[in-house]
Order: sequence, then structure tokens, then C-alpha cells
Amino acid sequence: MLRRLLFAVLVLAACRPDGWTAGRPAQRIISLLPSFTEILFAIGAGDRVVGRTQWCDYPPAALAVPSVGEGLPPNIEAVMARRPDLVVLYNAGPNVTAAKQLERVGIHTVLIDLNRLEDLGPATRTLGRLTGFEVVAESLATVLDSLAGRPPPVSTTSLAFVVWDNPPIIIGHGSYLDQLAAQAGARNVFSDVAAPSAQVSLETIVARDPQWIAVLSDSAAPPGFAKRREWRAVRAVRDGHFLLLPGSSFGRPGPRSGEAIQQLRALLAR
Amino acid sequence: MRWALLGIVAALALVLSVVLGPAAVPLGELLRSDIVWNLRAPRALLAFLVGGSLGVAGAGLQALVRNPLADPFLLGLSGGAGLGAVVAIGLHLSGPWALPIAAFIGALAALGLVYRLGLIGGASLDPRILLLGGVAIGAFAAAITTAIVSLADAAELRNAFLWLWGGLSGASWDSVLLVALYAPIPLAVLLAASRPLDLLALGEESAGYLGADVEAVKRRVYLAASLLTAAAVAVSGVIGFVGLVVPHIARLVWGHRHRSLLPAAFIGGGALLAFADTLARTVVAPRELPVGVVTALIGVPVFALLLRRWTIA
Amino acid sequence: MTPPPPPPPLLQLSNVRYRYPGAERDALTDVSLSVAARQFHAVLGPNGSGKTTLVRIALGALTPFVGQAAVDGRIASTWPRQELARLVGVVPQREDNLFPQRVRETVLLGRYPHLSLWGRERAEDHDAVDRALAACDAQHLADRWLWTLSGGEYQRVRVARALAQQPKLLVLDEPGMSLDLKHEMGLFELVLGLVETQGLGVLMITHDLNLAARFTDSLLLLDAGRPVASGVPGDVLTQQTVETVFSWPVAMQTVDGRPQMIPLRQPKESRP
Repeated sequence: MLRRLLFAVLVLAACRPDGWTAGRPAQRIISLLPSFTEILFAIGAGDRVVGRTQWCDYPPAALAVPSVGEGLPPNIEAVMARRPDLVVLYNAGPNVTAAKQLERVGIHTVLIDLNRLEDLGPATRTLGRLTGFEVVAESLATVLDSLAGRPPPVSTTSLAFVVWDNPPIIIGHGSYLDQLAAQAGARNVFSDVAAPSAQVSLETIVARDPQWIAVLSDSAAPPGFAKRREWRAVRAVRDGHFLLLPGSSFGRPGPRSGEAIQQLRALLAR
Repeated sequence: MRWALLGIVAALALVLSVVLGPAAVPLGELLRSDIVWNLRAPRALLAFLVGGSLGVAGAGLQALVRNPLADPFLLGLSGGAGLGAVVAIGLHLSGPWALPIAAFIGALAALGLVYRLGLIGGASLDPRILLLGGVAIGAFAAAITTAIVSLADAAELRNAFLWLWGGLSGASWDSVLLVALYAPIPLAVLLAASRPLDLLALGEESAGYLGADVEAVKRRVYLAASLLTAAAVAVSGVIGFVGLVVPHIARLVWGHRHRSLLPAAFIGGGALLAFADTLARTVVAPRELPVGVVTALIGVPVFALLLRRWTIA
Repeated sequence: MTPPPPPPPLLQLSNVRYRYPGAERDALTDVSLSVAARQFHAVLGPNGSGKTTLVRIALGALTPFVGQAAVDGRIASTWPRQELARLVGVVPQREDNLFPQRVRETVLLGRYPHLSLWGRERAEDHDAVDRALAACDAQHLADRWLWTLSGGEYQRVRVARALAQQPKLLVLDEPGMSLDLKHEMGLFELVLGLVETQGLGVLMITHDLNLAARFTDSLLLLDAGRPVASGVPGDVLTQQTVETVFSWPVAMQTVDGRPQMIPLRQPKESRP
């Protein structure tokens, strides 16, 4: 609730600068988060996107848009050089400062939260309103809202998302990946860890004995730690039960989140 | 008496680190548990070996550079190891041992450079230049590392920092065996240098007149202590404060004579790190604290007390 | 039947010449000197006259360019340090104390040249420490911390450490510096006693002409690295040599058959 309120305040704050109202749709947009780029293309505003981050690789058409670099934090000069009339940023520490800098030179910005499934609907509506594609955005947002609102199925299997192996860092409760797993019918064995990601001991992973080890990886080969002796104490590692999830489709919430849930469910059913 | 006490403390630290852990293992199943045998036991032993090695390396280096604030990682090795790890990730070197080996090579490269710098004034190894050169090389390597990380595309490069400060998560019987085979050689070299190290506290000239082969001792001690530290960083990343604080505590109890100081620093360092790692694993379970945080939380107050004591004395 | 050759002197420097790398002039030029058992030998000279360089060469820490330094008949720089330390005990001018220690511990350091790599200190080592402390009248200091000693006590302890090495030759570099009269005299009496009772050879570096003249058998007077005079005190310390070397007017007197120097005030008109 607090987060929504904060979000609303931020959007309002971003909209306030004079000479620009919600009534005049943005024509030259820079998207500084792959998820935003996907949403913008999905609601039909793709041809207004004049800048993206180097990580924005979907849809394929987005690759034709010039990249302005990493995006977090943005390279202010590279952003300005594209002469945008709207910059969409992910709402996080360094970006808040960057947004202020951009506002100071007269470029309009909006900071949007996008951490979990339920952020998708509001983010889509905001982008729809700013670009004048409210109707398409609303129908997409409704679909995405239903994803978030759907009670998760009874889990039939369990998994642990391993982000890094030494020290072991896992995904905890309240993160997008945790929701993704729940919606796909798998229990995240670390859903009791309040943080989005956390360092844990290997023995905790052994003790919680997930049936699958999920890794964001674009490679088809098992991760390097699969061969390490201490990791072989984990049953799923010994059994080779790895879920290798391409970062582009699983690593971020977006219009394809529904597909990601379906794919994960299919992988788990193997 | 104090040896018996130290032995009990060390045994207690080892037993605790095997018995305690975030996963509940019933006492009755302790000896049959996979978690105990394959995770806790090697981790406890690795913690002990690494902590002990750092304690001895710190004690030796403090006597060598004649500076009580010297830490084994002060001499540029952590910077070199970090650079090695980043290069390994950047080059996509795979295999379970790619990172430790690359970090070890990086640390050795830094060691070689600092050693060469230490000889810059001629044939005599200058401990002051070792210290300055170590800091300089470490900063230089860290700068290159940061440059690579911020220029390269791969987000996973950032994980090299995680790895560098990673602690003992990578412990396995393989790494225990490796350290158990490797460490005794430099440890023996340092122990054999105990008496000359005592003499070195009087200054190089006096040490020579009392029968120490000063140049040979300085080289041996620097190389042995650095090789110990390089191995420690390769298997467990940078773990601060053990090598700084343990020698001082050992000196307070055992005096400055290295024949007792070095063994005490080994057992004490081992016990401290095993204990700190047990805390790191259990206090915020199921999460885990980086072990360097715990050693610093224990070490800094102890160190501050010691500093106070010294500045008053 | 020919008599056996006499033993070589404990220390012999023959025509030694040395220059520090990059220095403009020689630190020592054509210096010769010999110290035998039961001999108390002093090297005198003003600051910068090459006295400490001479010690370093005598002990093999520096190698002369010309001439040679030999200890017990063997070239000084070829002695293994540990063997040399069993033969020569040194009380250097300055030393550090990085970590606090007690008197007995610091004297025990003198036993290191006699210990094997892994062996512990034996009963004979502790006996040697006790004897050395007794010889220096310092038994009562044994359990004191080093930093609590007075300057005179500290020098005695350092002499005791050198004695614990059980050397044949004792080298002292400016041992009397910063000591008051009683302690400085006490130290010279102590060293002379060691020469007479234990048969040690002693080489002492000092700039105290009067004490050197009172206590020693032979002197070497250095000026800017060059020997000015050497021999018994009466021959070396004349008004002319002393005034030349120390660049100050002096008067000479004789006390107990030894020359003593009295520095004169400068005439009023030439005072700065």
C-alpha cells in the first residue's frame, strides 16, 4: 500500500513540470528498463522508442533502436543526445538522482516501480497514459493483473533459485521469481527469507532439499558449480535437476510473464 | 596451562562448528549426517587451516616489516587475487577450480611485483618499500579490476567481488586436502625463522651481529607469509582482521618470542575463524553473514582496545 | 723442534680502504688495526671519522675495496653469521625494541648463535645467561621490563647479552653515550674487568678520549677516515694530534701515567 502511494506521488511529481500534460502523448521515449521496452512495444508505442538500454533485447524490433548504455544508472549525456521528450526509469536509488538531473535540463521523466507481478498492471497503464495508448494498455494491464491476482496452484514440486554459488545467493520471498515459481506450481524453498535475494549456507540448501535448482542462464550446459564437490551434497545437483532459464524471458517481469509461467510449468512437468 | 586453555578453545571452536548450523541435525545422527560430513566438517577444517595460516602470516609479516599494524592482505595480494578472478570470469574460463586458480595466480603476480619493488634499492630487501609497494600494487590492481568490471558487458563480473569476499562457502574435502598439503611448507619455513625473527625485532644490524642471516630471513619470511596468504585468498577470499588481531592477542599472552608465538597464532587464528564462521552461518539463519563481517565485528573492538593499551603504555 | 705458530689475532684489519656507493670520498683509507685476546683496544675520532664503518668492516657487514679484515684468521665477510656470533659479541650503538620484553629474555637472545634450528634452550644456555648477568652485576634486573631500565642499566644488560654469546672478542660502539659519570665509569670498569678476568679481546669505539686513555692498552685515532696515530695512549694522544683531529685547542696532563685532555676556552677575540 505504502509503495503504491509512493508510486502515485512520484508519478504525480514527474507529471507536474509545466508545458507538458498527460494530454500530449510523448513522441520520443527512452526506456531504461528492458521490461518497459517490452511493454511499450506491446502496447503499440514501439515506434516512439528512440533509446533503450543495452540489455533490451525483446521484441527483436527493439534491437533496431539505438542503445544508450547500461541504464542503471543512466548515462545522462547519451540520454540527452537522443533528444527525448520522455525518459522512463526504474524506480531505484541512482535513477532517482538521474531523473532529477534530467528534469533540470528540461527532459521529462517518470520513475516506475517494477519488482513484482502486481506492479505490471499499473506500470502498463502509466505507460499507456503517457503515450496515448490507453485502450491497448488497459486490456494488456487487465491480463497482467489477472496473473498477479490469480491464487497460485497447489505446489507439486519445489525449487531454489541460485543466483551465485560462492557464497551461495538465493532468491527469497517477495521477488518476481518467487511469484513465478509459485504460479508455475513450484514452492520456492526459500520463500521464508524476506529479502528478494540473500546469502545462505550451502547446508541450508541441502537441508531444504529442493527438487530443482533454478538458474538464470542463457547456456544449455549445467552451471559450473554443478561439478564442485561441496555442491554435490545437494540432492538436486547430484541428480542433475537444473532448470536453466534464459534471462531474457525469465529474469524480468513483463508482457511475457504469462508465457514464462507456462514455460516453467512445462519444464517442471518433464 | 595457557596451551591447554588454547587447545580447549580450539577444540571447542571446531566441535561447535560441526555441531551447530542452520540446518537442524539431531545429535544422534551427527556422525552419519551428510551435512556434517560433506559440508560442516570440511568447512570447519578449512576455516581452521585458513585462520591459522593468516594468523601465522600476519605475525611473520609484522615482525618483518617492523610494523605492528601490518596485515597479510596489506601487501597487495587481495588486489592481485581480485584481478585474477575478474579476468577468469571475463575470459569465461570454466571448470570448478577456474576462479581459485586464477585468483591464486593473480596473488602470485602481485607478490612477485611487490617483491621486485622491495629489492629496488639493491640486493637488500627493504621492508618499508615492501609495505609501500604492497599498498601501491594493491590499489593499482583494484583500479584495473574496477575498470574491467565497469567497462565489460557481463553483469556476472560483478560477482567476482562477491567471490573475493566470499568466505568459506566453497569449502570441500578437496580444498581442505589442498590446503593441508600446501600450507605446511610455508608454515615450516616461518617456524624455522622464529629465532631470527626474534632478533629482527632489535633491528637488522643487531640481528646480524647476533647470528641471523638477515637478508635470507627477510626473503624467506616475506615469500612464505605471502604464499600462505595467496593460498588463503584462493580458497576463501579475503578474510580481514584474523591476520592482524590474532598475532597481537597471541603476543599479549605468549610474549613476542616467535617459537611460541607462531604456533599460538596458528591455533588461535584457526579457532577464531572457525568460531566466526559458525556465528556467520547461524546467527541470522537461514541467511548467512559474510564471515569477514564477523571477524571484523570481533576483531575491530579487540584491536581498538589494544591500540588504547599501547598508546597509554 | 719449532714452537707452534702464535694464534692469529682475534681481529686484524690490514690497509683497509672503503667508500660507500655514490659517496664523494673514502669513508676509510689505509686503516690497519689488530686486537688480540686480553687486549683492550679503542678507536677514537670525531663524528664522521669512519668509526662505525670500521666496525661494519671488522664484522664483515661491509667488504673493503682494498686490504682485508680478518676475524680469528678468516676473512670477516666469509664467516657464516651464526658462527661469527659465537666468536664476536657486539653492543651496537643503536637498536630497536619493537616489542616489549624482559631483561632475561633479551639476554637470552645472546644464546641464539649456540642453539640449533629446532632445539630448545638448554640448561647450559640459562646458566650462560645467569653468568653473563652476574658478570655485569645485573642479576637483580633479570625480571624487569627493558623499558623500565635507566640508561646505565640498559647498557649493562646489552653487554650481558653480548657476553651470553660467550665470545672471544667484544665490540662496543659508543657504549658510553648519554651516560652520566658514574655509569660511564662503571661501564669502563666492567669492560676492563672482563678483559682482565675472562681474557676477552675488546674493540671499543668512542669519542671519549680521556676514558679511552685511562682504560685501554692501545688506541687508533681516526680523522676523516684516515689513521692519524696508533699505539699506546701516551704516544697517540699528544696535544698536536688531538688539536689537529678535533680542531680545538687543548692542554694535556698526565693522570696515573695516562694522558688526559683538557679542552681550552677560545681566546675572547676569536669567539663567534
